[in-house]
Amino acid sequence: MRAASNHLQLSDISVSFSGFRAVDGLNLGVARGELRCLIGPNGAGKTTCLDLICGKTKPSAGSIRLDTRELTTLEEHQIARAGVGRKFQVPSVFRELTVRENLEVAHCKSVGVFANALRFGRSTETDGLEKLAELVGIEDRLGQPAAYLSHGETQWLEIALLIAQNSELILMDEPTAGMTAQETRKTAELFLRLKGRHTLIVVEHDMGFIREIGDVISVMHQGRMLAEGTVHEIEADPEVQRAYLGSGGISHA
Amino acid sequence: MTKRGNIQIAVYAFVCLVILLLPFVLGNDYLLNRIARYLVLGLLAMSLSLCWGYAGILNLGQALSFGIGSYCMAMTLKLRTVPVQTGAGGLPDFMVWNNVETLPWLWVPFHSTTFALLAGIGVPVLLAALLGWFMFKGRVTGVYVAIITLAALVVGNLLVIDAQAYTGGFNGLTDLAQLELFGITFDAYGRSTYYLCAICLTFSLFAALALTRSKTGLILQAVRDQENRVRYFGYDVAHYKSFALCVSAGFAGLAGMLYTVVMEFASPTFMGVPLSLSVVVWCAVGGRSSLLGATLGAIIVAGMQNVLSEQRAFLETWTLIMGAIFVLVVLFLPKGLAGLSEAIAGRLDRSRPSALVSDAVTVEKNIALPEVRR
Repeated sequence: MRAASNHLQLSDISVSFSGFRAVDGLNLGVARGELRCLIGPNGAGKTTCLDLICGKTKPSAGSIRLDTRELTTLEEHQIARAGVGRKFQVPSVFRELTVRENLEVAHCKSVGVFANALRFGRSTETDGLEKLAELVGIEDRLGQPAAYLSHGETQWLEIALLIAQNSELILMDEPTAGMTAQETRKTAELFLRLKGRHTLIVVEHDMGFIREIGDVISVMHQGRMLAEGTVHEIEADPEVQRAYLGSGGISHA
Repeated sequence: MTKRGNIQIAVYAFVCLVILLLPFVLGNDYLLNRIARYLVLGLLAMSLSLCWGYAGILNLGQALSFGIGSYCMAMTLKLRTVPVQTGAGGLPDFMVWNNVETLPWLWVPFHSTTFALLAGIGVPVLLAALLGWFMFKGRVTGVYVAIITLAALVVGNLLVIDAQAYTGGFNGLTDLAQLELFGITFDAYGRSTYYLCAICLTFSLFAALALTRSKTGLILQAVRDQENRVRYFGYDVAHYKSFALCVSAGFAGLAGMLYTVVMEFASPTFMGVPLSLSVVVWCAVGGRSSLLGATLGAIIVAGMQNVLSEQRAFLETWTLIMGAIFVLVVLFLPKGLAGLSEAIAGRLDRSRPSALVSDAVTVEKNIALPEVRR
């Protein structure tokens, strides 16, 4: 998995929070267009791993490369510009702005402050954004502030924001949390459509969801990579079962 | 959305038109001068609304930019006075009293009015850029921004007072010539000055409105809402916040220059803490997230201040009344007068069976927001 051709390559990444090693010598390689699931018991370091990739947390050692670009030395906005989008575990949208405005913020061709000060015409973009809202089923709420959306709709909005942002690499932290079974299925369909055009890393607990979308699954435990493989390989892996002991086994995690 | 936008432009245009037509109704030059003064303070409040209301940066040192603008204008006008008591080469009178023998290098370029006009806006912008770069690159936010900007204001104020030989100290710069531009002389008590202020205010209101409606304006509102989220969409938040601070400082500098023309002097109180905090009150009363609201808030509150403080009955209690109004507005009108008028407009829209029902619903929902939060 550590081939040089990987789209994203984390090598020997470590980070500690006041003495606690949240991630400890982690290696992870993801090929372009792949949909990779990242699972593991609570406190395994999954969210920290995403934080490290998108620059929210800086590693104390190791390197993260997106193609040939080293990400660890960049600031968050530079990493985002390099092609990394992130969905947060707690849905994070602009609550005071309308749904449409949220999508406009996410969809940007230029990020410069002066260029955007002279940008008024939105007619060309609006069409695409409306289609996007339709895709995630919030098209009739475009004019409303995001604060009025339900939890599920907020999740959808943030997913729509990431599609609008159109990053090469999309990091999803528990995208189906708080969704109904039907909504979860719809999310799975959407992710399968994104696969190929985008590279996705999905942190998830819902094994049913993972069975639907995952080809390769990476299992983290105590800040390290424990195992990597297909759903069947992972479920049969005795080490993985041991890691999940006490939390009811992997299928109920 | 567009319907609301057009109404907004119409309201702005209407208010500006009223301001521009006022001299035809008012024949009293003294009153006109006073209203011109309120218009300038309105411009100052608008400048704060731009960075506080739209970008969430509470700049308690807004009067610093205002004061610098005011002094830039006063310096060039001072050099044009026919001095009563003068040293070598038309040295300003107070310098003679302070035993200054040659014009300080800082004053030399102010022989040019063009330079003064550029400096009155440029210096506050550069200062804001520097301060913004330090604060926002270091990710200083919230109350610490307020403290740093307030401290910067106090430093600026002390420097001006301390350098008496060059700035006139506590006395400020008095006995100024009248501004002359394009062959027009701006007499503080004439219509020309009133129109200068009114036109500058109109231009600034629409320029600022255009900015808030641009994509940069949208991103600034997103920054106000959730600064950290904006970073992950690839925007350099520090750039955007510095930009907002700079534009705001530029408008405040313009207001400061006009203030000198209207008041016919510049004083360290123009960059004092009391004025700077008053601007915050004006914005809060008028509605900080509405440019026009903040402008009208300043005009109304400053006007009332003046009227009350001149009444014998309120000679000693007018500050108390102003304080009470501020408390009441903050408690019951969190969005200020602008929020109140929006709410009333929403009610009217609802009671009238409109063809654009969905639009009315949007307006109404927008207004329900503060109530939900309270």
